[in-house]
Amino acid sequence: MTDQTSVVRQMVWKDLQLHRPHIIATLVCGAAALALLLLKHEGSTYFGAVTFFIALILVGCLLAASNILNERKKQTLAFVMSLPISSIQYTTAKLVGTVLMFLIPWLTLVIAAIWLIAVKGVFPHGTIPIALIVLTLPFVGFCAITAMTLVGKTEGWNIAANVIFNSSYSLVWPFIAGTPSLVGDLGKKEPVWNGAVLTFLGCEFAAIVLILAITYYLQSRKRDFV
Amino acid sequence: MNDLAIDLRGVSKKYKFFSLDKVDIQVPRGQVMGLIGPNGAGKSTTIRILMGLVHQDQGEVRVLGRRMPEEQIAAKWDIGFSSEDLRLYEAMTLEWHMAFVRSVYSTWDQQYANLLLKRFGLRAEQKMKGFSHGQRVKAALLLVLARRPRLLVLDEPTTGLDPVARHEILRELMGAMADEERTVLFSSHNTQDVEQISDQITFIDRGRVIDSFDKETYLDRWRRLRLEVPPGIDLPALPGVIAVKQQGRIAIATANAFEPDLPNAYERTGARVNRVENMTLEEIFVANVEHSREEVNA
Repeated sequence: MTDQTSVVRQMVWKDLQLHRPHIIATLVCGAAALALLLLKHEGSTYFGAVTFFIALILVGCLLAASNILNERKKQTLAFVMSLPISSIQYTTAKLVGTVLMFLIPWLTLVIAAIWLIAVKGVFPHGTIPIALIVLTLPFVGFCAITAMTLVGKTEGWNIAANVIFNSSYSLVWPFIAGTPSLVGDLGKKEPVWNGAVLTFLGCEFAAIVLILAITYYLQSRKRDFV
Repeated sequence: MNDLAIDLRGVSKKYKFFSLDKVDIQVPRGQVMGLIGPNGAGKSTTIRILMGLVHQDQGEVRVLGRRMPEEQIAAKWDIGFSSEDLRLYEAMTLEWHMAFVRSVYSTWDQQYANLLLKRFGLRAEQKMKGFSHGQRVKAALLLVLARRPRLLVLDEPTTGLDPVARHEILRELMGAMADEERTVLFSSHNTQDVEQISDQITFIDRGRVIDSFDKETYLDRWRRLRLEVPPGIDLPALPGVIAVKQQGRIAIATANAFEPDLPNAYERTGARVNRVENMTLEEIFVANVEHSREEVNA
């Protein structure tokens, strides 16, 4: 008899196979956007940066909808839940799988972007901390959308989560731009990891952990799965 | 060792607009139980509870000796589940699904899977989105049968199928039941399908089990008597008769506990018994539901 960890692992692997096209499309789109940055032209730089950010936001929205919501909408949930797993193991598989699928393009593209700044000198090295802060925002948004979709179970919750978290970026950016301790060292030749930068990054990662923990807790309290 | 594959005792579940009310269902190992009920009767809720997907508010559920929902993981290793609304991943092939199920269950029988592919006329390399409804149902059943579970739980598997596909599905199910250790719970509102394969039949309506016997008992106990009633004679309420519908001189009495003496009892009241008819399972089901609803409304 296969053990339970193996069943969860097989489910994660299944989801990775199902969503390979999303991951590849994001990587291609992100790579194309980064290539535009290399042109070092004002227009292409702006277009590349926006496209890059959109790619990271889009893959988060798509994965939450496709890997979680569609399982209910397209009625494949009954197939999955007939497997020897409990609802909390389903939650584990979905959270691990969805986050992993997001991390593949996110980490690849973030590392590539930092490499472009650090090695290719697309922007001054002083932009590295703010780049990390800004590029982590889609990760936080993705986790929040995933959590609301998983716990809420309906398309309504998914749409609400997308609207709330994707529009909230426009609230965070002015705050970042208006905080001198975060943007004061952008033109410097070396990255400056001051307290404000580290606190902001710490808050982002703490938010990710908190969102995932709350999701897990709420799911574990559910009595009915379907 | 408990010889019940499914044991539901006093199971209740309350929703806003529907309640499952003290449901008792016992299915001995190796038996085929047909669960018949109209749409919205509670068949799917009952099945979800016994699969551990929904927690009952009250009552005890044991499946293959395991307490549900607490021991659902251990139980589900031996349960094969398929339902009318179960879908597979459209973008993937049947072969991919077979590989996935094989990776989970060490009991997967590839030879049997190949045989089922042939019998059902399915192509493993085809993507699910190209499958018709009948082919999807067959594919889902293949994935269940090829891992050789001890208990099959099938929620309206023949709904929406054409007669040929239905026949193929039922034939394969009957083949699968040749294994005397295998138990099947088969829900449907199609009484013909249930009659064909079931040893025992449970009628469920509006969240309550209204009757549960073996198939032969139903067919033996239920009769329809066509009567001619002369003017001035009132038909009495006789034991075993659950409904009498009279229009002028013609009356039809439905008995759910028919005894050979019942026609004589009617003759003694002055009525004439023109015919005593056997009832089909569908007629028994409809009469049973109507009687149960009258009792509840009374």
